[in-house]
Amino acid sequence: MNYIGLYTFTRREVTRFLRVSVQTLLSPWISAVLFIFIFGEIVGSQIGMIGGMPYIEFVLPGVLMMNVLTSAFSHASSSLYFQRFARHIEEILVAPLSHIEMILGYITGALMRGLVIGVGILLIGVFFGVTTMHSPFLFALYIVLVSAVFALLGLLVGLWANGFEQLASLSTFVITPLSFFGGMFNTLDMLPPLLATATQYNPFFYFIDGMRFSMTGYHEAPIWVGLLIISVLFAALLVLVTTLFARGWRLRV
Amino acid sequence: MPATPALTIEHVSKSYNGSKALDDISLTIPAGAFFGFLGPNGAGKSTTIHLISGIARLTEGTIRVFGTDVVADYREARTKVGLAPQEFNVDIFEQVDRLLDFVAGDYGVRKKERQERVESLLERFELTKHRHKEFRALSGGLKRRVMLARALVHQPQLLILDEPTAGVDVELRHELWRYLRELNETGTTILLTSHYLEEVELLCDTIAIINQGKIVEVGDKAQFTSGGRKLEERYLEITGARATQT
Repeated sequence: MNYIGLYTFTRREVTRFLRVSVQTLLSPWISAVLFIFIFGEIVGSQIGMIGGMPYIEFVLPGVLMMNVLTSAFSHASSSLYFQRFARHIEEILVAPLSHIEMILGYITGALMRGLVIGVGILLIGVFFGVTTMHSPFLFALYIVLVSAVFALLGLLVGLWANGFEQLASLSTFVITPLSFFGGMFNTLDMLPPLLATATQYNPFFYFIDGMRFSMTGYHEAPIWVGLLIISVLFAALLVLVTTLFARGWRLRV
Repeated sequence: MPATPALTIEHVSKSYNGSKALDDISLTIPAGAFFGFLGPNGAGKSTTIHLISGIARLTEGTIRVFGTDVVADYREARTKVGLAPQEFNVDIFEQVDRLLDFVAGDYGVRKKERQERVESLLERFELTKHRHKEFRALSGGLKRRVMLARALVHQPQLLILDEPTAGVDVELRHELWRYLRELNETGTTILLTSHYLEEVELLCDTIAIINQGKIVEVGDKAQFTSGGRKLEERYLEITGARATQT
């Protein structure tokens, strides 16, 4: 294992997102403030309690999870795509780094960004008076696992994309809609029966539900189901991405 | 016992979308050589370099760098190779010193040693006062120096230079030549591709010419310039380009 190489890879990735921190950190934090303020404070004051808690406490985990997974995905996909686009991926390809080390480097970079985003939104929540934390361990576990899953998904898109439109397509057509339909703003019993059933097949529902449980202790689905879905997705994506890296698909000519 | 060659290429072929870029090439570069690798555009020079360095996948034949197989023992092989490509394949938003530090780190160089090497290279290539500038803010000549410094930061035994003086002014070209000679004299094997044949004639002791994916001639420089001929004449003759000259 090239530990120094892996550490350097991670440093490079962290430097990259810090270099454009207005776009990578400030923008999602501002978006979170708006969501929490509009939906949590203003709309929430009209809704009252939901799941036995003030609406703002209910909304915060969903907003946090959506931003964490979006950040991890964007980091991995844009980092790899831009490296391919500008050809400085060659700098990595000629180095004595294995495919696994490269993938771990991207995941760790995305995870760091996800963590910074997540902790930042947690602090924003505290500013709005949300101080609940049911299980710090599960909170950290969900951030780590979900960031890793979306980093792998980002790598897949970063490899596949041959243009900026393709790079943005998964985020626009899959991640954002599934997040919004994944119980960010509502419980299952607030939905029409058909949509409530469909939501139970939406993996994002389990990510948000698990995060909500870690922060508030409230959940609608068994936590083990969510963790199982995340683990299966992680394992499947890891195998797929590793295979593609090993074959050099769209990396090595 | 003869010294292990710096580079051994045996029966290497490479195709892209059914079109053969390299057709069963074999080549040996002795350790310590200053080797000129010539050929027209599209002849297979870059493909060969990409296969040696790991940018392209080797699917047919074997390549060894100082006896180390570039596929089976890719980690060790890559630590022995430094590549300065023709194109600026760097993160253009990164500042110069950090760019060198990152590359040294990729090769597993420890922090203290990394810092010493980066400082030394910045000084050697007169980049110290530009160290905090982003790569994109440098002039063409300074960019070339960074590319060379980057290729050397892990102290490779085999340095591959793909058109290192393209777009470089006369002063810097002479300075780079002087530095490359020094480097070669202190034991680094150099593989140089260049369209400036006078540069190859001046620096290299051994030359190979590749054309249409095949090595068409290899030998000492004297072999190419015998009878008072210029390397360029022989090159045009070998590549068949003479007929098109006006």
